[in-house]
Amino acid sequence: MACTSGGMSDVAPVPEQFPVGLRVLVVDDDVICLRVLEQMLRKCMYKVTSCSQATVALNLLRERKGCFDIVLSDVHMPDMDGFKLLELVGLEMDLPVIMMSADGRTNLVMRGIRHGACDYLIKPIRDEELKNIWQHVVRKKWNEIKEHDYSGSMEDHDRQKRAINDAEYASSVNEGADEVLKTQKKRRESKDEDETELENDDPATTKKPRVVWSVELHQQFVSAVNQLGIDKAVPKRILELMNVPGLTRENVASHLQKFRLYLKRLSGVAQQQGGLPSTYCGPVEQNIKLASLGRFDIQALAASGQLPPQTLAALHAELLSRPPGNLVLPALDQRTLLHSSIQGSKCVPVDQNVAYGQPLIKCSSNIAKQTSQPVMSNEDGLSEFEAWSSKNLGDMVPACNFGTVVETNSNMLISFIQQQQQKQSVIPEPSRSINVQPSCLVVPSQSSPNFQTGNSPVSVNQNCGFRNLAMDYNNPLLQSNNSSGSGQNMEVECKPVPMHSEFGTAGSVSSASSCSKNIQDSACQRVPSSPSTISVVMQVPSMNRVQSSHSGKPDLVQVSTRNPVYVGKGPSIPSRFAVDEHELPLSNIGQVKLYAENNGNKVKQEPNDLTENVRVGIPVRQTFPQMI
Amino acid sequence: MLGLSVDRLRADMNRLLALLFHQGVLDEQFLQLQQLQDESSPNFVSEVVNIYFHESEKLLRNLRALLVDKEFSDYKKMGVHLNQFMGSSSSIGAKRVRNVCVAFRAASDQNNRAGCLRALELLEYEYCYLKNKLHELFQIEQQRILAAAVRYPVQQHHHQQPNNP
Repeated sequence: MACTSGGMSDVAPVPEQFPVGLRVLVVDDDVICLRVLEQMLRKCMYKVTSCSQATVALNLLRERKGCFDIVLSDVHMPDMDGFKLLELVGLEMDLPVIMMSADGRTNLVMRGIRHGACDYLIKPIRDEELKNIWQHVVRKKWNEIKEHDYSGSMEDHDRQKRAINDAEYASSVNEGADEVLKTQKKRRESKDEDETELENDDPATTKKPRVVWSVELHQQFVSAVNQLGIDKAVPKRILELMNVPGLTRENVASHLQKFRLYLKRLSGVAQQQGGLPSTYCGPVEQNIKLASLGRFDIQALAASGQLPPQTLAALHAELLSRPPGNLVLPALDQRTLLHSSIQGSKCVPVDQNVAYGQPLIKCSSNIAKQTSQPVMSNEDGLSEFEAWSSKNLGDMVPACNFGTVVETNSNMLISFIQQQQQKQSVIPEPSRSINVQPSCLVVPSQSSPNFQTGNSPVSVNQNCGFRNLAMDYNNPLLQSNNSSGSGQNMEVECKPVPMHSEFGTAGSVSSASSCSKNIQDSACQRVPSSPSTISVVMQVPSMNRVQSSHSGKPDLVQVSTRNPVYVGKGPSIPSRFAVDEHELPLSNIGQVKLYAENNGNKVKQEPNDLTENVRVGIPVRQTFPQMI
Repeated sequence: MLGLSVDRLRADMNRLLALLFHQGVLDEQFLQLQQLQDESSPNFVSEVVNIYFHESEKLLRNLRALLVDKEFSDYKKMGVHLNQFMGSSSSIGAKRVRNVCVAFRAASDQNNRAGCLRALELLEYEYCYLKNKLHELFQIEQQRILAAAVRYPVQQHHHQQPNNP
């Protein structure tokens, strides 16, 4: 944003004085705190603006964009919740926000973090703490610069409030400029008309008069997006849902872009991948997902610094080789994914990461290659996978694993289906969609380790149990090789069918829980080409064990994931906004458990569960363990 | 002598402050408050504390009104009030009031009405004590300032004398 940069430019040229003159906006309905804070900040030589009402503060911020470097906000305010203000500030002007409250209870602080607060101060606030707040301004700048380096033009746009045009869109995905054209073409081919329109229209949006996104309006917007699902939210539909007179689709499109950027920002991860060549010919949605998944892994790993260079190189190679569908769904999925994956990766020790990264990649590569025909791709992916694994993972992963992997061609299919279904399931419910993504991320990390670990369980982190599960599955799986045809069939079915279809169920499960990866891994292995009724129940009980039972019923392959991979254990965090959902994975990660069972029966129920689960958010998950 | 009275008043203030610290009525945050007072805002402490009194009494009234209501069930609202009370009390270093607020809020979280009522009584007591003591402090402060103001011209006079002759 111009404002922000302006602020920095003021500051940057005068390093000697730097913190002096920092423009701080303080918002607190408690006039005593406000007065004290104001005085303290003055003593720090900051330029202070104080405000006792959140709405007034928000207006101030909107009217005087670029006039503040940092915002301090109380949490409890009568006219507007501090977290909401935090959200909006994060969304509209990329400013660092420090939350403060006398209430330092963990869940509250967690909420602040989840909403993107750069700090959370507990009252009474001491001047020592305030003397240091300038660091957040600098840190944010630094991060942006870094991001900029990594993703090229993206960051500029990020800071700009203007609507993002196609090029930017593409660039956000890290694509070369020429790629953009291709992408657009592809997109047009794809069914996602709205998406395409969105992009095309955006530039126009830029020139139109700005709509002020009031809190209410934004809430409407968010709920519409939630209803549609973040991946499926296209301006037209959002507009329909919002039903606000005078609001144009362009307005919505622009806001959606910002919203996505906001989500990305929340993830706090720079999109680092240099231009991944992506040409994508298949169905957009699936590819996107897959691609994004593969992507996020890498990024997460790289970001966490836990990825060994060689591995990274391998990953990159893989990514490059695959035709990426990334372009289509740039912002949300990837960001979300990244975000969650990153979080997950932080918790995960190195070995895990590596292992984990591989499976994902494999999937993505497969899919990418064969876009529409998931089945076919399996082999490719597998082979790559093997090669890759042998190189990098050799030490860690026993040979057995690979074998398993190879045998399960169906895995790919399944995963594919799952993902598709994810999409489908996601669509109906907004919150869910959001949730799904994050959770997906979470799960994968764990699941993938299992996958690779294969029979020899390597204790990565806490999730040992998980791996064990994988092992179990693997054995049974060995038997089946899949016919790609079956996979295709499944795919076909899945698409049309909403959540309730069998596939849908399976898919929904995976998607909803974000277990998709787990499912992919676990399910894939388990479900051979010869369709057997398999219900994979993913539960994330506190315990670490996974149980899988195969009941081979020839007819249907059903993957029902009862409990999305979420972990119940994390502190139960109320989920609001997209942010919450993203973050949930973190807490969960440690404790995620995969429950895989083959029960053909439960499929139908699953969707419901999923839905509920999704809505509830991760915390709810804890309850599920008993199911099996 | 005026100068002596200034010193004496200052000593009184310090003694009172020490007592309040010792009793846990105030904590170091109050010192921070005092340090924030400077030429640009010479009455900062009393200004803030007076706002605090004003706000606190409002809050206490609200809390009592909530609890007196027989059909009271809005513990959430009470929690919001208490949170604000906690925040402002801690901001001026009113340690004991803040601590009672914490206990109060705990009772409120448990929907413990009896506990809330007891806590409210205690809160009112602590608040009154604090208010009295701070008033006392400010009175001494006022006297000291007056005394110092009286002394100032005298000092000037002394300074000038050597020059004039």
